[in-house]
Amino acid sequence: MPYELIALLMFSTMMVMLFTGQRVFGAIGFVAVMAAILLWGDRGGYDIGFSAAIKVMRWYPLLTLPMFIFMGYVLSESKIADDLYRMFHVWMGGLSGGLAIGTIGLMVLISAMNGLSVAGMAIGATIALPELLKRNYDKLMVTGVIQAGSSLGILVPPSVVLVLYAMIARQPVGQLWLAGALPGLMMAALFVLYIVIRCKITPSLGPTLSEEERAEITWAEKLRLLRAGLLPVVIFAVMMVPFVNGWTSLVESSAIGAIAAFVAAVLKRRMTWTVFETSVRQTLAITCMFMWIILAALAFGAVFDGLGAVKAIEDLFTEKWGLNPWIILILMQLSFLLMGTFLDDTAMLVIVAPLYVPLVGALGFDLVWYGVLYTITCQIAYMTPPFGYNLFLMRAMAPPEITIRDIYRSIIPFVGVMILALALVMIFPQIALWLPSQVYGN
Amino acid sequence: QEPIRWRFQTYAGAALGEQVTKPIIDYINANANGELEVELFYADQIVPTGELFQALQRGTIDGVHSDDDSMASPTPLRVFGGYFPFATKHILDVPVLFNQYGLADIWRDEYAKVGVQWLSAAGQDPCNFNTKKEITSVSDLDGLKLYTFPTAGRFLAQFGVVPVNIPYEDAEVAVQTGELDGMAWSGITEDYTVGWADVTDYFLTNNISGAWIGSFFVNQERWAELPEHLKSVVMAGIEAGHTYRNQWYWGGEARLRATGDKLELRSVPADEWMQVEEAAKTFWDEIAQEGEVHQKIVSIFREYNSVINQAGAPYTNG
Amino acid sequence: MLDTAMRKYVRWVDAFNYGLGRVIMFGIFVLMGILLISSINKTFFTPTLWTLEMAQFVMVGYYILGGPFAMQMGANVRMDLLYGELTPRKKAWTDSFTVLFLIAYLGVLLWGGIDSTIYSFQYGGERSPSAWRPYLWPIKTIMCAGIFLMLLQAISELFKDILFIRTGTPVRHQNEEQGDAL
Ligand code: NA
Ligand code: NA
Repeated sequence: MPYELIALLMFSTMMVMLFTGQRVFGAIGFVAVMAAILLWGDRGGYDIGFSAAIKVMRWYPLLTLPMFIFMGYVLSESKIADDLYRMFHVWMGGLSGGLAIGTIGLMVLISAMNGLSVAGMAIGATIALPELLKRNYDKLMVTGVIQAGSSLGILVPPSVVLVLYAMIARQPVGQLWLAGALPGLMMAALFVLYIVIRCKITPSLGPTLSEEERAEITWAEKLRLLRAGLLPVVIFAVMMVPFVNGWTSLVESSAIGAIAAFVAAVLKRRMTWTVFETSVRQTLAITCMFMWIILAALAFGAVFDGLGAVKAIEDLFTEKWGLNPWIILILMQLSFLLMGTFLDDTAMLVIVAPLYVPLVGALGFDLVWYGVLYTITCQIAYMTPPFGYNLFLMRAMAPPEITIRDIYRSIIPFVGVMILALALVMIFPQIALWLPSQVYGN
Repeated sequence: QEPIRWRFQTYAGAALGEQVTKPIIDYINANANGELEVELFYADQIVPTGELFQALQRGTIDGVHSDDDSMASPTPLRVFGGYFPFATKHILDVPVLFNQYGLADIWRDEYAKVGVQWLSAAGQDPCNFNTKKEITSVSDLDGLKLYTFPTAGRFLAQFGVVPVNIPYEDAEVAVQTGELDGMAWSGITEDYTVGWADVTDYFLTNNISGAWIGSFFVNQERWAELPEHLKSVVMAGIEAGHTYRNQWYWGGEARLRATGDKLELRSVPADEWMQVEEAAKTFWDEIAQEGEVHQKIVSIFREYNSVINQAGAPYTNG
Repeated sequence: MLDTAMRKYVRWVDAFNYGLGRVIMFGIFVLMGILLISSINKTFFTPTLWTLEMAQFVMVGYYILGGPFAMQMGANVRMDLLYGELTPRKKAWTDSFTVLFLIAYLGVLLWGGIDSTIYSFQYGGERSPSAWRPYLWPIKTIMCAGIFLMLLQAISELFKDILFIRTGTPVRHQNEEQGDAL
């Protein structure tokens, strides 16, 4: 059987298996090891699965994974970021749409302290959402802001999604994180721009705080709350200063960051047993989910690599069909957006791993830049129905007056903004690549 | 008739593999008349480098290009592959030691015992240092975090070097983030080829070994199955590859030292570097104690060294 | 009779993996500790040779031995596009078949693991290619043990589904929240 056909068979089998609803890692792993045994069974095909575990062990940036997951849970469970919301509330409340803009600011700061979107979602949905609704903000606007804003957690460094991508693409995590920083800020700015324009046209979408409420806030209170803004700065600095100075490695810095967040929660007397237990348990759960998937995905990738399938597909696109690399890239990205509606980021990783990354590399594109495109696509996938983590979380956490329909409708403008950001980064790769080239240039 | 297919993995990443392994694979594929097709995979592509040997033994992969040290060879030869401190002065010392002084027989026998067919060894570049910090005396080595071979790391630890073990492809970034101060891994040709010259500033002309010792291995059963004429094609490809590499490294080392603009040359005075060479003698003695095979190989190194020392220049210039 | 045996199996395996997971989840602090020691030594004293590799070993122990507990928690994501719409009973039916794929994967993983572990005992013991040169059999043995427990847990999930189909006793699927993990 020709290798292209085997590759196709592997992919279609995997997709079918994913749709059965069995655990993602089991579906992928099964296809990987069975293909290996059928192909090379007499020649040790069975140990491809386990050797992926050794690869995973040897790739030290993966150690950052539990650290940033733990950090995120400590932040959201202990509610040490409450004051942060208050800070934006009192400072931005006077503007039209100011609370929504402030929420984007909150999300950027939270994103800088953890690597997933879950902490942002938890803080946004439990603290910001009720406050904004109470002040008659448009519920669609608010719901969208929180879902979109929290997804910045995977683009603004540190990012767990980029760590996993780095493992797959064998690209440096440090450069990938830096590459995500400017696009993340740009996307936040675009969200703000959208809010400003919408509220200019229809001020009732984001009313300013009432005179009485504003009068109640003293300057002393305003200044006191500004101190809350120090928390993320301190945690970020404790983590980044030793790293930037080369005293510690990325992995060690992530541990320092996790310890800093933990200590902050203890000092603020928010580290109750429940908070502690939940954070520790959930960290194990999420870490295991990611690690077992990456284990299976690497085995799948190794078999796929062993087939030389990527070369075959590249030849098909470039030589047989005569497509321009940019056209191929755009087609890939479109197919990826489509898949993102019903896949989550971990399942997307499995497609990206053996197929897209080698292809993008073979076409001569920069893999650090592509990591940013991939992450933005994942962000969109988080929000697009029917399958998306942020959708689920919103569904679980939103007050009853927000219906499923509201949640689905709320994301439309923000997904539009994200696609715009994706296009901008595609057209101007420097948005992603300028910062890493400044920092890592010799 | 269906061609015989081999999956072959090299220790080298894609940029270096292009020079050190790919020419051989291309030669074999071009000359096997479609009867043998070898697919080349680079570092860690199918199995991680640390698992290379057992994968080869089991037949998960069919052939390997690596030094004994990096691929964690289970034989006593492990410490001698890669860079055994001061065992060689020049790239040609390696084939001479193997073909004229009997190392080839030892290697073939030891690998036969563990079920692997050893085919051929050859030299590559010397083991110099490329670093971000300047090295001008032996004391500058103290506290230096270096990416290096396991045995070289063990040896250099006595001078305060901190050997760091990370996957090959991650070394470049580790220098950028300050995790590493540099590498004690290669000569200057490789520094430029793989991009390490872009992230480090200095090249130390003193080396701890004059040439890397690396080999080609094949799974024993795969080799036995191969018809004689294909065996010759494989061996001829390997020999042609050795010749190509000899020139690529020898010429590259000279040209890039002389005209390369990415790394500044630094040297520790030869009489001061003598203490490192002296330490190597002690290290040799310690290794010789580890077993019969070790003793035999160390005595061959000693014998060869006394020959070239008597012969004088150019053999003794390292 | 068979039901009783399955129930016993489920009770024992789940209890063991639960207990193990509750201990292993604190491994995150061991990991932090090692990385902290590494940072301190690197910044103020001489960098340590063993910390990075030790941290890697702890991480492997953490996610492999913690895996069965995570599976109990329902942390392993599924594509719930179609599956999510099914009734608990239909979910149990589907899972009873598809879990066999998971079991097969874990079986092959274990096969490779045992082979690699046996190898790590041969030739005087396989040692890591690093300057610290730790023996690799301890971590490989732990990995095999973890994968084996994962296999037992997957079988326990199968039994729970069969029991649910046969007796209607809610064992899972009722309380397993989709997307609970993230
Ligand atoms: Na982040
Ligand atoms: Na989606």
